[in-house]
Amino acid sequence: MDHPITRREAIQKGLYLSGSLALACTAGWPIHAPSEAWALKKEEGFLIDGVGQTPGYSVQELTEKVFDAAGGMRRFVSKGDVVVVKPNISWARTPNLAAGTNPEVLEAVVRLAFNAGAKKVRIADNTIHNARSCFALTGAGMVAKKTGADLIHPRSSLMREMKLQGHRLDVWPVYVPLIEADKLINLPVAKVHGLCSLTLGMKNWIGGVGGRRNALHQDIHQSIVDLARFFKPSVTLIDAIRIMVKNGPSGGSEADVAVMNRLILSNDPVAGDVSAAGLFNIAPASVGYMVLAEKQGLGTSDLSRLNLKKVTL
Amino acid sequence: MNARRLIWIRRISQGVFLALFLFLLVQTRFPGTAYQGYSVAVTAEHDIRVGYPATFFFKLDPLVSLTSLLSGHVWIQGVFWAIGVLFLTLVLGRFFCGFVCPLGTIHHMASVIRPSLKGKGLFEANQKRGSQKIKYFLLVAILVSALLGLNVSGILDPISLLFRSLALAVFPAVGNAIKAACDVIAASDTKPLNLLGYAAEEIASPLFGYEYPAFQTGWLIGALFLVILFLNRIRPRFWCRTLCPLGALFGLFSRFSLLRLEKNPGACTDCQKCILTCQGAASPGPGVEWDRSECLLCFNCFARCPEDAIAFRFRWFPAQNRGPDMGRRAVLGGLVAGVSIPFLGRLDGQVYKVSDPRMIRPPGSVEEADFLKLCQRCGLCMKVCPTNVINPALGEAGMAGLWTPVLHMTHGYCEYTCTLCGSVCPTGAIRAISGREKVERPIRIGSAYFDRGRCLPWSGNGPCIVCEEHCPTSPKAIYLRPHVETGEDGKTITVQLPYVDLKRCVGCGICENKCPVKGRPAIRVMAAGETRSVRNQILLDL
Repeated sequence: MDHPITRREAIQKGLYLSGSLALACTAGWPIHAPSEAWALKKEEGFLIDGVGQTPGYSVQELTEKVFDAAGGMRRFVSKGDVVVVKPNISWARTPNLAAGTNPEVLEAVVRLAFNAGAKKVRIADNTIHNARSCFALTGAGMVAKKTGADLIHPRSSLMREMKLQGHRLDVWPVYVPLIEADKLINLPVAKVHGLCSLTLGMKNWIGGVGGRRNALHQDIHQSIVDLARFFKPSVTLIDAIRIMVKNGPSGGSEADVAVMNRLILSNDPVAGDVSAAGLFNIAPASVGYMVLAEKQGLGTSDLSRLNLKKVTL
Repeated sequence: MNARRLIWIRRISQGVFLALFLFLLVQTRFPGTAYQGYSVAVTAEHDIRVGYPATFFFKLDPLVSLTSLLSGHVWIQGVFWAIGVLFLTLVLGRFFCGFVCPLGTIHHMASVIRPSLKGKGLFEANQKRGSQKIKYFLLVAILVSALLGLNVSGILDPISLLFRSLALAVFPAVGNAIKAACDVIAASDTKPLNLLGYAAEEIASPLFGYEYPAFQTGWLIGALFLVILFLNRIRPRFWCRTLCPLGALFGLFSRFSLLRLEKNPGACTDCQKCILTCQGAASPGPGVEWDRSECLLCFNCFARCPEDAIAFRFRWFPAQNRGPDMGRRAVLGGLVAGVSIPFLGRLDGQVYKVSDPRMIRPPGSVEEADFLKLCQRCGLCMKVCPTNVINPALGEAGMAGLWTPVLHMTHGYCEYTCTLCGSVCPTGAIRAISGREKVERPIRIGSAYFDRGRCLPWSGNGPCIVCEEHCPTSPKAIYLRPHVETGEDGKTITVQLPYVDLKRCVGCGICENKCPVKGRPAIRVMAAGETRSVRNQILLDL
């Protein structure tokens, strides 16, 4: 360069440089993106079965051990994440009736998420009964108070029409906090259900949408699979400490409840549900949405293809 | 005591009681802090309750106690408050109107802030007039009617009227407006606006409710309240002077009050300041006798008189002032009205003959004839209900039951273990039951029945089990039977047909509320089968 660079040239060069960089990035993106997708696909499926055997064991400790077996909560939650936990607290019922996620499990998961560096942990469920009654009776309110998690009150401003692009559900109002989460943890309770026989992990997403939910029952299995495809939780922990074996999904009597002392953790939504179905002695092949979900590629019902671990306490 | 200081004591007292009334009104809701310790919840039965004395003003109100005693022959809980108020009235006069009554305070503010009348017009308006006897007519009508078994006091009782107007009309209207605005802002795609919407909602919701509350005839209740407020433009505190039956009751009890206004005609310069500021049109001016039963004890005349020609003093000798100016016509008219109302009210046959299927009373309600003797139509149960299912009746309970609580399952449903409505009822028209009693006895409020022509599986329009899914009893009152349905095209589908087991159904109405058949649901609840009635039953044995 024989003369000092002028301002105009500097700007030109700057523009060229940034332009070509931008071009390179845009061109490079399609090459990188699929490889990321491949990497995600390749992530190994696992299924951890936690069993509390000793009388008087700590549910919180069992929860921690189950997560440890999967590589710790840090595997799912990064520092600074907004983590949303989706329990099933649809019914204003006390925890002994097993109509909702066990508050001790909920508390343990919230604490684990905080310990893993989560900036915020939110508990969000679009309840069926009046939300305040549900928060009070299921113990979710108490958990939020004790742990400092946010308890999100479902309301119309938090429902947004979104494209689900499912086989059955196209546009449907979705509960916004679940969408705006960095990481989503699915925390259902295991119960029987009058229509789809069992309500476990995938069915829990009915509580993630609003609108005319009660019309979903007219094609419940495909609706469940559509929703399970739409909400992509980092991990699903099925609470089977107490399960509802009859009169589901609302229950109402301790006679409907069986104590199993089990927790099932999986990153495969189908496998988790299939494994939990075993607790009820119900064949997964007879549950419509499990069959459909596997057929449509959400996961596998063949548990032997997963990394299986068992944790006891 | 210094008269000016007395005025400030009165203003502070009015402010404190109005604030307390509004605070208790807001707190009459599902408590926000009702978070159970879940280790306790597993073993102990625990009923959720409002953490504040929601019925405090109703206990203070002697008209509530008196009408409950006359009609229902019960001493309501906390009746000693009302007895205390009456005793103080015997000593002081209508201090409740001037110092305590929140509706009186609102009227006082409406009359004084931006008054519509000045000078001569105000002077004229503050002259005592015959229409002030109307309140005695209304009081007599209410008391006689109560004695004959129909308690209509709540329609005009100031505490009931104010609570009903604010809780069922003013608060929902304001709340819905705020919430609608928040919804619009929150739906924005701009993040700051979005957050602003959520934040505003977060602040407003605890006061006004998270949902869009709606009450049948809310518009009517609100319009009447506005009319009553606008009457202050005709005469200051029009309501308190002319219409308030509780004021009339206090007027009667102030007959022998020891606290008296004494005039010194010698010092009076006829400046008329006392008359211009008189809230009750109680003739504080010179030349006429002071009307103790009209005096609201605002002490304005005392404070305003520049010549100290007016003084309030305690006098222990027997009364020399004249008694309340009730008027024979007002009393006789009240008697006639009081005798007529209960019998006219029964002409639609709701109590003894007809059973309106829509007259579904809250859980724990007493039998209908007793219910009409006790219900104050105050709206406490409607305000506290977490699902907004309890509504003021328009025609469901007949003419006699206007604004008494009925359940509209399209508005909400009766939460299975919730017993909040009974816990806040000031008179026991809804008994304070426990959740355990409600579930185990069980307390039925009605029965569900299917409309098979509308029901999706029954009409061959597809599978649906929503009612069965939501049924809260264990075992469920709604059960399913599989059925193979052949469609028009010859294809068969298997549906599950729902049935109601009347022996298990408690009438909570969640099935009707959640039924996907909108408009008129395919499963509906009617009052028949309600525990409180011997007559309104379906089955021979339960």
